[in-house]
Amino acid sequence: MNLALKTKSDNPLTENAKRGIFKTGGLRMNARPTEEQKPIQHMRRNPPIAGEAEAIAKAQAGDGHSFEILYSLHKRRVYSLCLRMLGNVAEAEDLTQEAFLQLYRKIGTFRGDSAFSTWLHRLAVNVVLMHLRKKGLPQVSLEETLEPSQDDGPRKDIGERDLVLSGSIDRVALERAVENLPPGYRLVFVLHDVEGYEHNEIADMLSCSIGNSKSQLHKARMKLRDLLRSGQRKEESIA
Amino acid sequence: MSSARNLQDGTSMNCAEFQEKLPELFESGANVSQEEHVQGCETCSALVRDLEYIAAQAKLLLPIHDPSPVVWDNIQSAIRSDHGADSKTAVHSGKRT
Repeated sequence: MNLALKTKSDNPLTENAKRGIFKTGGLRMNARPTEEQKPIQHMRRNPPIAGEAEAIAKAQAGDGHSFEILYSLHKRRVYSLCLRMLGNVAEAEDLTQEAFLQLYRKIGTFRGDSAFSTWLHRLAVNVVLMHLRKKGLPQVSLEETLEPSQDDGPRKDIGERDLVLSGSIDRVALERAVENLPPGYRLVFVLHDVEGYEHNEIADMLSCSIGNSKSQLHKARMKLRDLLRSGQRKEESIA
Repeated sequence: MSSARNLQDGTSMNCAEFQEKLPELFESGANVSQEEHVQGCETCSALVRDLEYIAAQAKLLLPIHDPSPVVWDNIQSAIRSDHGADSKTAVHSGKRT
């Protein structure tokens, strides 16, 4: 489905919309967030979110305000996933928009077989992967990154000067290293180590086996270690 | 002792075997740094330490940014357009949507 993502410039708002309220095909939507954003520590491992179940049920029945609540509850995680995978604010916002539009269109099909955030994340992951494939990035294919590579063998750095990372990397360095991971590795690393999803949930999101998810995660961590160590060496050679 | 032998003769065979098992060891929740091979192998010990450190540091990368308010504005606008398109389709096809 090709959604025409509107940009700031081609999105004239009505007077009602400017005031935050308008009616859309029977949906009354309020642009002003109604709930405080959840603290960071509440965003891991699919904790129960107060009011979410009711908002889902009402949104499925076509209630725009409830859909807005769902947006407020999940926008940060979806956006962060998009931002980490794209590394670009404008593209991340476009994909966040598309993910929630797909949510709006598909929310009636949510049956509660998995946590809502997992279901929404799967939807967002698909939006991101489709976008990356359209951009023609060859390493986006999960199948490709699941194949054995030169990274898979035992470490051959025996005898090399030991650069222990512990205590020596900061958040910025790690963020930068994550950005440089191949997208397939990056996706599993972000979903598991950053966002706290379990391998069975990731396998469900990515339509791969649990073993593949574990394998991808391990390769991602190994690759990150290499990236961080090479960054350390560069810093040392400059100093 | 096999782990000591690894260090003495410099073979990577046991390191290879250990590293092959490493993903499962991590996922099992075992205390990997207490594994016999790790106790006697500086290379694999450093590897385990680094991988555990990376996984721990990743938890600090939780989402901290929100999308700009224009994203929600655009979603509302696109939904409104969708409904407009649906209405037109209904008129043209003579069907209810």
